[in-house]
Amino acid sequence: METHKATINRENAKTSLCLSIGDREFEIILTEDKPNEVKSVFNQLLLELKNREFNFVLEDSNEDLFYHICLEYISQLNAELSSIYNELKDYDLLNLDE
Amino acid sequence: MKIDIHVHTKKCKAGDSEHRYINAEHFDEIIRLTDVKILAITNHNHFDLVQYQEIFNLAQNDYQIWPGIELDIVEGGRRAHLIVVVNPKNVEPFSQKINELLNGKTSDNFTITLEETVKNFDSYDPIYIAHYQAKAPNLLDEDVNKLIGLVSNKKRVLKEATNSISAGIYISHGHNSIYGSDIHNWNEYIDISSSLPDLRLPVESFEQFCFLLEKDVATINTILDKKTKESIELFPFYSDPFESVNVSVYNDINIIFGSKGTGKSDILHALSKYYNDLGFKNKVYESSAKTLEVTYDLKGHTFDKNVLEFDIAECTQELKDIRNSSEKNITSLSSYLRYFSIDQTNKISKKLKVQDFTPLDEPTSARDFNEIATSLEQVQNFIKYIDSDELIQEIIGSELYLELKFVIEKILIRLKTESEKRIIDLRSISLFNQIINVFVEEIAKKTGQPQKPISTGFGKYASNRIKIEKDLRKVLVNISKTIPPIVEYVGNLGDKGKLYCQTNLVIQDGKFINSDFTPVKKVTKNPQRNFANALDVVFKYLYTNTLFEKITELNQVEGSEAINNLSDLLIFHRHFSINGNKYAPSSGESSMVLLHNELLEEKEIYIIDEPEKSLGNDYISNVIVPMLKEKAQAGRKIIIATHDANIAVRTLPYNSIYREHDIKGYYTYQGNPFTNSLVCNNSLKSDLDWKEISMKTLEGGKGAFGERGKIYGNS
Repeated sequence: METHKATINRENAKTSLCLSIGDREFEIILTEDKPNEVKSVFNQLLLELKNREFNFVLEDSNEDLFYHICLEYISQLNAELSSIYNELKDYDLLNLDE
Repeated sequence: MKIDIHVHTKKCKAGDSEHRYINAEHFDEIIRLTDVKILAITNHNHFDLVQYQEIFNLAQNDYQIWPGIELDIVEGGRRAHLIVVVNPKNVEPFSQKINELLNGKTSDNFTITLEETVKNFDSYDPIYIAHYQAKAPNLLDEDVNKLIGLVSNKKRVLKEATNSISAGIYISHGHNSIYGSDIHNWNEYIDISSSLPDLRLPVESFEQFCFLLEKDVATINTILDKKTKESIELFPFYSDPFESVNVSVYNDINIIFGSKGTGKSDILHALSKYYNDLGFKNKVYESSAKTLEVTYDLKGHTFDKNVLEFDIAECTQELKDIRNSSEKNITSLSSYLRYFSIDQTNKISKKLKVQDFTPLDEPTSARDFNEIATSLEQVQNFIKYIDSDELIQEIIGSELYLELKFVIEKILIRLKTESEKRIIDLRSISLFNQIINVFVEEIAKKTGQPQKPISTGFGKYASNRIKIEKDLRKVLVNISKTIPPIVEYVGNLGDKGKLYCQTNLVIQDGKFINSDFTPVKKVTKNPQRNFANALDVVFKYLYTNTLFEKITELNQVEGSEAINNLSDLLIFHRHFSINGNKYAPSSGESSMVLLHNELLEEKEIYIIDEPEKSLGNDYISNVIVPMLKEKAQAGRKIIIATHDANIAVRTLPYNSIYREHDIKGYYTYQGNPFTNSLVCNNSLKSDLDWKEISMKTLEGGKGAFGERGKIYGNS
């Protein structure tokens, strides 16, 4: 299983969780509720998951509110990624040729 | 039953072929491979009593062997051949007489006059068969007339023709005629025998043959009565329900003929009803009533198929699930913000670490359990099946049965153990997740603080999409399957080839365009195509935010509410084909095939109205007439109303029913070609000549008589 990097991007206006898979980066804004944008990220994660199993590890040293949020979020997301990978595998929906 | 009145078994004259020689055993062997049931041995100026008796003994009652000779006749300085065939009862004196005549002579130098021939052989109950016209060396008309003048029974003089056509021509001119093989090479006899004359009536003896030559009514009726005859009183006419028509029907060919408007079709329908009432299922076949297109339902009015018949899944549930699917919500980020923004102040809640646990993977565990549960159910069903099937137990025996039960029970125990393990796993995970949930909810309630989110929502969100993908893939894979054409044999169109009815079936995938195709089910074409296209679009947008917009568009395809499964996407095109190519048979070809198929059906009674319609003479003579005769030989009742001499004459029907109309009313006559008479049912009119009426009434009558190669139907 691959492990990818998750980071927190703190800006004045907004703070977001950045999920990197190779050279692709998916951003989840933590300071705004935009479900459609999160769903877009989920769709991308699902497509990536068809190619291989992976999870994320949070790389951040600033233990502020966002750190705690992201730590919990990543932990939950990793468990769900693993469960969905199994489901894709069980239903033969993995991209085997990649 | 075929007859050969001119057979050589020896090379007697210098000019004879060596291949004419055949011994008794080989002769018997060959004859048994043919339909020839009567043979006259007629060697040149020679009769071998020993060989005759050898063949006679081998023939037993399987075929008849008649003694005869082919004589060299000298008349007025001319040489000609005359066959004399005598009653087998007189074989010994006949043989003796030949030996006397040939004393000191050879087959090559022996000659005899007509007077001497009659003087020496007439007492042996003979038939004289003169080589005539093209059958050389032939007797001239004056010689034949002289012979007729000399013999005691002029009906015993026949003219030998070369083949069926010339025999038919002689018969049509009032001359009794027949032809034989005059075999030169026995290696060719089996092939030659197929063109020998047919005996329509089964002749059992030489005497009976002679009676038939004289058209002896009693003899003919005796033979005819061997077939089942049924006398029926019909009331066939709506215009006069009290007018009765009495007809006899043989289990052979029965022809109804007469001018148009004499009620032939009404009689057929009345006969059909009569036999249906008796329980003999039948119908009147009318060539013009139905076209081939209607018979084979080319427009598919009654056509129905389901994809399951072609091992293609209907996908009913999958389509329903796709249509009813909806987006799953995800956990909002603000709920995380709310939870982590407030410090937990409650000391007890701080100690409840259960709220910090991550829920375990319940869906995977549920799938694991369902998997084993399905296997367990299948094995249990198998045991139930084995237990309920006494035949299996009987066949495999108690020992094997108990062995099987033992093995299956062992398998069941293992499956149950694994099943228990998995259900415990599933329930534990489920319980664990519920505990987390309950604690998180209760802590929030009791402390008044925001509830901790326990899932990002990705799992449910992704699972929902995966389910749609799984269903959609199954639907699209099945839609893309090809269905092989359904090909049904229709009939043979001779040189053109075999005609088939081909039904092409396609599942509309949104791309198929062919205006010849129509939906199998009660769905229209556009919704089929638009629905299939919309499914493709949904697939393309599976992992996008607009997926459910596309599913809404799918549900909104006009007319698509009628599409509930893949059978509703079926379209078909049915057509006739020859060698795989589309073919439109002409009306004549349609009639040909329909009549042929009607006769191929196995049934007791065939009632056919004007089978000749749209058919050529060749087809009637070469295909239909032989089929009718074959049915007649098998004892079927064939009743045909016809204007066609090829059918009414060439079949030599056991029974001819003639309908006549004059100013006083309608009359029904019955008769047959063998007695050559038609007798009025109510004796109001005098007897008619069968041949004369047939020639006058039937289309192609003269031709049919002229080409006829049969015997015993002549006058």
